[in-house]
Amino acid sequence: MKAAGVMILLLLAGSAWSAPGFDLARLMQLLSETPSSEVSYVEKKFSALLSQPVVSSGTLVYRRPDVVEKNMAAPRKEGYRIAGRELTITRNGTKRSIAISAEPLLAASAASLRGVLSGDAKQLGEYFRLALDGTEGDWKLQMTPIDEEVARYVQRIVVAGREGRVREIEVHEASGDRSVLTVN
Amino acid sequence: MPPRSSLARYAVALAIFAALCLYASRAVRIEADFAAFLPPSATPEERLLVAQLREGLVTRLMLVAIHGGDERALAQASRALAERLSRDPTFDYAANGSAGQFAAQGEVLMRNRYALSADVTAERFAVPALRAALEESLAQMASPAGILTRANVARDPTGEFRATLARARPAAAPARRRGVWFSADGDSAFLIAQTRAPGFDSEGQAAAMARVRAALGEAAPQLKVTLSGPGVFAAESRRLIRADALRLGMISTGVILMLLAFVYRSALAVGLVLTPTAFGLLAGVLVVQAVFGSVHAITLGFAATLIGESVDYPSYVMLNAQPGETARGAAHRIRSTLLLAVLTTVASALALTFSSFKGLAQLGVLTMVGVAVAGLTSYALIPWLLGERLLQFPSLRVPGGDAFARAQGLRLAAIAATLIAVGWLAATHPDWWEHDLANVSPIPAAMRAEDASLRRQMGAPEVSVFLASRGSSEAAALEAAEAILPALDRWQAAGLIRSYDSPARYLPSPSTQAARLSALPDNAALEANLRDALRGLPYRAEAFAPFVADVAAARGAAPLTRAAYAGTPLGTKVNAQVIALEGQWLVLTPLGGVADPSAVRAALAKLPNATTRLVDLKEVSTGMLESFRHEATRQALMGVALICVLLAAGLGSIRRAFRVAAPVAAALPITIALLVAAGQRIGVFHVVALLLVLGIGLNYALFFERPAANETQRERARLAIALCSVATLITFGILALSATPVLRAIGATVALGAAVCLVLAALWAAAQPTDRELP
Repeated sequence: MKAAGVMILLLLAGSAWSAPGFDLARLMQLLSETPSSEVSYVEKKFSALLSQPVVSSGTLVYRRPDVVEKNMAAPRKEGYRIAGRELTITRNGTKRSIAISAEPLLAASAASLRGVLSGDAKQLGEYFRLALDGTEGDWKLQMTPIDEEVARYVQRIVVAGREGRVREIEVHEASGDRSVLTVN
Repeated sequence: MPPRSSLARYAVALAIFAALCLYASRAVRIEADFAAFLPPSATPEERLLVAQLREGLVTRLMLVAIHGGDERALAQASRALAERLSRDPTFDYAANGSAGQFAAQGEVLMRNRYALSADVTAERFAVPALRAALEESLAQMASPAGILTRANVARDPTGEFRATLARARPAAAPARRRGVWFSADGDSAFLIAQTRAPGFDSEGQAAAMARVRAALGEAAPQLKVTLSGPGVFAAESRRLIRADALRLGMISTGVILMLLAFVYRSALAVGLVLTPTAFGLLAGVLVVQAVFGSVHAITLGFAATLIGESVDYPSYVMLNAQPGETARGAAHRIRSTLLLAVLTTVASALALTFSSFKGLAQLGVLTMVGVAVAGLTSYALIPWLLGERLLQFPSLRVPGGDAFARAQGLRLAAIAATLIAVGWLAATHPDWWEHDLANVSPIPAAMRAEDASLRRQMGAPEVSVFLASRGSSEAAALEAAEAILPALDRWQAAGLIRSYDSPARYLPSPSTQAARLSALPDNAALEANLRDALRGLPYRAEAFAPFVADVAAARGAAPLTRAAYAGTPLGTKVNAQVIALEGQWLVLTPLGGVADPSAVRAALAKLPNATTRLVDLKEVSTGMLESFRHEATRQALMGVALICVLLAAGLGSIRRAFRVAAPVAAALPITIALLVAAGQRIGVFHVVALLLVLGIGLNYALFFERPAANETQRERARLAIALCSVATLITFGILALSATPVLRAIGATVALGAAVCLVLAALWAAAQPTDRELP
């Protein structure tokens, strides 16, 4: 009796865990069907040093297949553009380019953004262990870095969304600091 | 088989030889420091140069390139290799470009950031500057790039650590992939390993190379590794020279033995020919060991060449024996000629013993002793061993000088050739001397060029031009180096230099450190300033307690010394750049990308302080070789004068002395001119080889000039000279085929020189009246 009850519970839990037809492959398919986009965002930074979070805002741009831009407008203008093999930083009026492959942390960050936005599970899997949670209408993808070099700085990244759209990106740093980026 | 009594004598000779060998194998210490073959250093700059060439930081850099795999495999192998080599006592460290590789060094810089940072002033810790720094940190919080800089913000809100780190970073570095150094094309991962063994220690370098290969073999056996660097080349070139010398030596020994067997048709005679050289070499080595305390490996190699002449002595004795004459009789008959042959070689080697190159002085002593003992062995031991035994030789007809004698045209051509050679050499002097010390190095030019290109790609330091700041103490020298930092920045901005690497950046003088630390506020003042600066900012009140604690610790800290960097790459560098030299201290600041050293020297002269000088290694090396040239010329003249006196006294006639000396005197300029025309520049190795040519040439001339009593004697004398010259041509002609520059230079010089000497001596002798009686 007891065993059967546990079985039923497990089955129920299992079906709730992953609704029929929704898994990583399905999520990636949804994401890959989403067209290029430009959205505004608000990011909150939480740190042990801070009495209240630092808030910044700007726009996020994604152009298929591999261009991601984060244009911060407040508290000051800073631009980050990932295109091809390069990251271009515009800050204090000067532009600087870095090869993405140079630093594992940079490579992992670029892969996390481009992999999610383009629905490329292979790219994500190269740098992260993936765990999907939720339903098509409200999913959460947890990404844990594989590389030690990356894990020294980033503990995990959690991306939340609805169908093919990303709603929130939360980065947990190894230092205990945390940032939450919300797309409007 | 020789008779019984004779057998006993061979046994005695063999026993003595074996005993001497045994003693030598225990007593003789072989050294391999190539500086023994560099000119002695007269000026402090020259001593510095020799020190840099021998054991400078750059000579201990090993460049490692891993290839043959994909990017991930290469990066993994790079990390594994760096980790293994850093634990290996053969290396000071192994860097692969990964961040956080040298945590200990980072900690030293972090702990001493207030003593190190040039930005530290009292204003920097006042409210306005602190406020600006805190606002900047806040902005960094929001920035994605801040993830790296944020880690230290609580300890170092003013960013002194980052500023210090930026200054310690080399001017150029390879591109990075997956966090480690890679070649531009991504095909190989780069590491830079600093060996403990100095660059000249080719055995130590070879051991270090083996460690790298073994470590990679354990970590990633499927990948390949290429090693480069001055030390690697030293080890490689030694291996090449050894292999070449062994291979060519075996070939020429085989050919010579065949030649001897053909002429003598007797195993005993062939064995006897080798006896004087064996005894001579052994005695020479033992005397050098007794005089100098050690024998240089290169001395040994060259000495085997130089006393190669002594192989000829027994042939002169045995082949000059007429039918029915014992070796003793022949030796007695030619003793004055043999004595002169030996003494003239001793005289030319005597010039070498006065050389201020320790290696050449050793070579001189070894040659003098070796040749004298070989001569004595040929004169006394061989006849004693042979006793009454007569050696039978087949009669070999050697084309005589009769054809030459009639060829008046040839003689005129020889005189013209000599005059042209002398004239041309005089006109182009001193261009045909070696000017670049680097070219004296036995390492092939192509290998050196490859190394230079790899070094540029890796951003490894190149030490060719540097500033030397002098002081009576380490502190004074560091102050002198600090004083030129503003000028260096100006020169860099103006493009006079591309980069500089001043140790004063990471080891400021004690007074500068003290000045910086005294600018730090005390706890109460800093806390009050911080409170004011934090007003209105979203930081927690106690967030910067680590900063206050660090500043307090810095105020009370002992000055940063070289010892603090022990075991880190910076420690190795500081030790190489801050050096005690003869009671003084020198701080070296290597300059990168100096297009015009004289412009830098002019700019330096305009600065007020005179404690810093520019050292251009190329210029210094040219100067050293020039003084070598003067010394060599002076000693050669001394040797020539001595030889002339010996010949005149020995032959009892100035006219006869002239007849012997003239062909050799003509042969030397012709040989040099031919070498120069073939694109060679005359360096140390050529000079050594030319001394051998002088010795051999005089022997030919002496035996050609020796009046013969009859046609048989003349024929025997010709046979002896023919055998000796053919043996020399074969031995050194084969050596000239070597791929190693040193061996090729010696081989070509001696083979060419011996041939020219032979032709001229024959022409000269043929020109003389032939039918004279013995003196």
